[in-house]
Amino acid sequence: MDTRKEKSPKRKKGMARLLQLTCYKRGLVILSCILSAISTVISFVPFIAIYFVLRELLAHLSDLSALDTAVMIRWGWVAAGSAVAAVAVNFGALMASHVAAFNTLYQLKLEFTNHIAKLPLGFHTQNSSGKLRKIADENIEKLESFIAHQLPDLAGSLAAPLCILVILFVVDWRLGLASLVPVVIGYIALAKGYGGKRAKFFVQKYNTSLEDMNNASVEYVRGISVVKAFNQTIFSFRKFYETIRHYTEYVYSYTISFKWPMAIFMVVINNIYLFIVPMAIWLSGSVTDYGTFALSVLFYILFSFAMTAPFMKLMYVSSGAMQVSEGISRLDEILDTPPLSETASPKHPRGHDVVFDKVSFSYNAEGEHEALRNVSFTAQEGQITALVGPSGSGKSTLAHLIPRFYDVDEGQLRIGGVDVREMAYEELMQQVSFVFQDVFLFKQSIFENIRIGSPHATRDEVEQAARAAQCHDFIEKLPKGYDTIIGAEGVHLSGGERQRLVIARAILKNTPIIVLDEATAFADPENEHRIQKAFEKLMRGKTVIIIAHRLATVRGADKIVVMDDGVVAETGRHDSLLAQKGRYARMWESYTSAIGWTITEKDRFAEKEVPAHA
Amino acid sequence: MLKKAFRLSDEGSKSLNRAIVACVISNITLLFPFAIVLMILLTLLEPLMGGGPLDTSRLWLWTGLGVLAAVLYGVAYGVEYDKTYTAAYKECESLRVDVAERMRRLPLSFFNRKDLAELTTNIMGDCATIEHCMSHIVPSMIANCVTISLTCLLLAVYDWRMSLAMFCTFPLSLLLIFGSRSIQRRFSERHMKAKLEASTQMQEYLEGIKVVKAFGLEGEKSRALKNSFDVMKKESIYLEAVIGAFVLPAQMLLRVASGMVVLVGVYLFTGGSLGVIPLLTFLLISLRIYGPVTTLLTLAPEFFHMQISAKRMQTLRREPEMSGQNHVELEDCNVALHEVSFGYNEAEVIHNLTVDIPQNGVTALVGPSGSGKSTVSRLIARFWDTDFGDITIGGKRIKEVDPEQLMKYMSFVFQDVVLFNDTVANNIRLGRQNATDEEVLRVAKLARCDEFVQTLPQGYDTVIGENGCTISGGERQRISIARALLKDAPIVLLDEATASLDPENEVLIQEAINELVKGRTVIVIAHRLRTVAGADKIVVLDEGKVVEMGTGEELLQKNGLFARLYNIQQESFGWSVGA
Repeated sequence: MDTRKEKSPKRKKGMARLLQLTCYKRGLVILSCILSAISTVISFVPFIAIYFVLRELLAHLSDLSALDTAVMIRWGWVAAGSAVAAVAVNFGALMASHVAAFNTLYQLKLEFTNHIAKLPLGFHTQNSSGKLRKIADENIEKLESFIAHQLPDLAGSLAAPLCILVILFVVDWRLGLASLVPVVIGYIALAKGYGGKRAKFFVQKYNTSLEDMNNASVEYVRGISVVKAFNQTIFSFRKFYETIRHYTEYVYSYTISFKWPMAIFMVVINNIYLFIVPMAIWLSGSVTDYGTFALSVLFYILFSFAMTAPFMKLMYVSSGAMQVSEGISRLDEILDTPPLSETASPKHPRGHDVVFDKVSFSYNAEGEHEALRNVSFTAQEGQITALVGPSGSGKSTLAHLIPRFYDVDEGQLRIGGVDVREMAYEELMQQVSFVFQDVFLFKQSIFENIRIGSPHATRDEVEQAARAAQCHDFIEKLPKGYDTIIGAEGVHLSGGERQRLVIARAILKNTPIIVLDEATAFADPENEHRIQKAFEKLMRGKTVIIIAHRLATVRGADKIVVMDDGVVAETGRHDSLLAQKGRYARMWESYTSAIGWTITEKDRFAEKEVPAHA
Repeated sequence: MLKKAFRLSDEGSKSLNRAIVACVISNITLLFPFAIVLMILLTLLEPLMGGGPLDTSRLWLWTGLGVLAAVLYGVAYGVEYDKTYTAAYKECESLRVDVAERMRRLPLSFFNRKDLAELTTNIMGDCATIEHCMSHIVPSMIANCVTISLTCLLLAVYDWRMSLAMFCTFPLSLLLIFGSRSIQRRFSERHMKAKLEASTQMQEYLEGIKVVKAFGLEGEKSRALKNSFDVMKKESIYLEAVIGAFVLPAQMLLRVASGMVVLVGVYLFTGGSLGVIPLLTFLLISLRIYGPVTTLLTLAPEFFHMQISAKRMQTLRREPEMSGQNHVELEDCNVALHEVSFGYNEAEVIHNLTVDIPQNGVTALVGPSGSGKSTVSRLIARFWDTDFGDITIGGKRIKEVDPEQLMKYMSFVFQDVVLFNDTVANNIRLGRQNATDEEVLRVAKLARCDEFVQTLPQGYDTVIGENGCTISGGERQRISIARALLKDAPIVLLDEATASLDPENEVLIQEAINELVKGRTVIVIAHRLRTVAGADKIVVLDEGKVVEMGTGEELLQKNGLFARLYNIQQESFGWSVGA
């Protein structure tokens, strides 16, 4: 649990936040900035060296025989050497910054994935996987360019004006001042272009449209079978097409909005000499030593060439940092969503009763449309409690409250006498295992998939669980047995087989309480039979809460809780509920008619009536 | 060449060419200030060479020209900016649309092989990469090449010895960069692969979030996820280091040349064969020339990296499309499979299958899972093409019918209903785009949707979330039946929903299906054998072969596979917990 975050709920924004994110590898980041600044300073040296060569040359123009070629050649070497050194030091800076960057991304991604797993399930139904994946794939990834390139570049381009300031006092402050003017203009143009409200607005639009396009593409790919079946062209897929158009529109207007600031910046930074020359002309009227004066003008003009490179980098820093910072603010929005609370002093449950005590719950924060209203019942230790009811009646919601996918709004859910919110999450997981109806298997080996139930289980234990869940036989027939990767080429598991794997997972976990969402899907008859056998193994001697979709399944349950529209409508055993002639009895009637349905109106098996009653 | 490398449209390659021209022009206008600076310096130094006092009016003249050159550059830059971004964004828009359109035309088998993450990365990521390449890299690279060659040429004419000194290391660095291409590409590919894997793992993590939560696999506890992040981190660092290892020496080599200019210059100058002015000129140019060259060198690796995206894009384009004639009219709806064999990959799953499906009747395909019943229905719809044998509808071989044309004759009710993040009405209207509101309402009523739609906040205009997550399974099923009703095709392929819903919902779906099958040729994949009791023909499949065929009564009497499955199923339906 990340307590650091809870103590500082107010997160920094913009550049400050980006700098804060360098904390994972601060040492390397600082090193890279220092190296980058050094490299920038060194990169000025060749200009100065050439200046000295020229000075030597110009000083002896009238008498070339006095020319000290050794000095000139020495400066030539200095120029070459310092140029090479600047490249080398810069490489060092970049390596340090990249190592720092990739490590930071790595940490940040882990933190992100960790955090989203701790958020209530509602978060995931509201936020598409496409959107969340984009944050990990793109937004976090963009931080790389900030830490690896922009930050060291920033250090370098800040070192440049400092250098200029120093040199300004050393050589001629008036010419120095003149060469600073374009720098200031350049800064202002960039600040106007990238710092303004309009720019921020565009970046947001741009990011939103990018997100929309990503979501639409996920939806499009998922729906491809339908697209094919219904002869829909891309253009009829207004949504996807429009998100693409919108994206283009925004990215275009976003880019174009920087056109003039950029143009001004580029013009100014490439023409610094135009500011120096008039100053030089103005000063030339009052010089006494023309030789020295001409040399210092020469110096500044040479130096103005040197300044172009670091300032060009600055341009990328400003545009890049803004995009990164917008991306990170989307990450922060999610990191700031409070996770389900964890108690500081966890209590230990005694026994395995599951008690719903006046539980109310609503999916939206405003508390409208309560999904559960004042629900109370007890699933007794060692008994089978069945939840039945039409879809939307709240039976799945009840089950989702037990692993704390959501927390109750009112009332209490107690396991072994302890409110689940007062239990350590790990402990809760040791008490309860779940079999959901939407079977999810990871694209890993079958062995690993079963072992999710108990990460330290041995090969033998996994195999035992697989046998109990009627999986062993079909697993052995797969090309690589237990090491077969799910989803690998040529491996196809039927729905029934997948279900049994999930049951094996739960059997391996072996917790005293089992929450079962009965699979709504029919497997083929033989598979179905095996699943039922697997269920029997899993439920033996446990406290079971089962959400039943086929009413026949729960005739033998110790207690049937009939849910309707978020409230408990009836409770009792099958026979007594039938005798009541209420909600349950009516459902049973529909059930028996549905199961006898045939696709055509004739029925050729009429003599073989509906399933055997209990 | 570029057109081919990036598979650009005609319009796209034209506008890319325009962008390149604009970029070249703006780069050339950048040479003017340089020449002017040179002139200014010469004017400035003239008094030192005994040329009398400083000529300020000439200085003013050059400064004036300098301002003009600056304005010119500003305009050229603005034009370049417009052209490059317009070209890139417009082209990438059509690229994205094109990829999406392309995907639609690919056989479904393609989607079986590639998963969601890779496909979306394909559309979005690669397009973005190519977008960046077109807006930033290609024009700039070409423009720099032109500028460098132009300068090179001018200088060579001016003084070939000094030019040689200046550019002597240039071929070496180029050799280093281009020679290391294959190594760079190998690391690039490894990096791409790692990136894709991380993305796939992330998608899986998100899709399996319930399991992640319920089994305590948050963040680093998901080993595969953590590993993929780990590998990606390492591959990223390797890639940077490898690229750096080649670019760095290349840059160093280049920079050594600036020293060479001084050495050679001084040598020639003292020897008397080089004047002051050329020496000065070359010294100044040596300060500036390596900028564009370095840019070129740093862009080159990026350019190579981009090519991987372009290559992947091409693999997508090279996937064979399904073809066929467009103007075939089917005479009737009798479906016949004649000695059909088929496998999704090497392993054959349908063996030499011959079945006649008469029109205007209900034919059921039944059998254990993996028996091939779903595959047969997909083959009839031409989602895949058979490997051997023929499928004919109304006497026409469907391999010769354009898939789109064929689809006009068929409706589907799949068991995994796909809904779009759009209104209910639009989701139904997917069945037929030009349907009126009345027609939509009519089929919605027939499919027993109307009642629940009326209870939604905005009725038919209610937007159902991503993949219709806000409505229940039974409701989704009924929407998909409404779609099929709206399409009103003569052949209905029905994959009976295996999901059992609450009984009331189930009864409604059954009513809706009864509406759909009236008077049509129906091919149903049945999971509940009871359902097809009244079918005109039942085809029992096992391991890709027909094992029994006949009406329900005949098959039950025969006491074969069908009878056995039927009995087990009846028993399963009677199963109860705790009994």
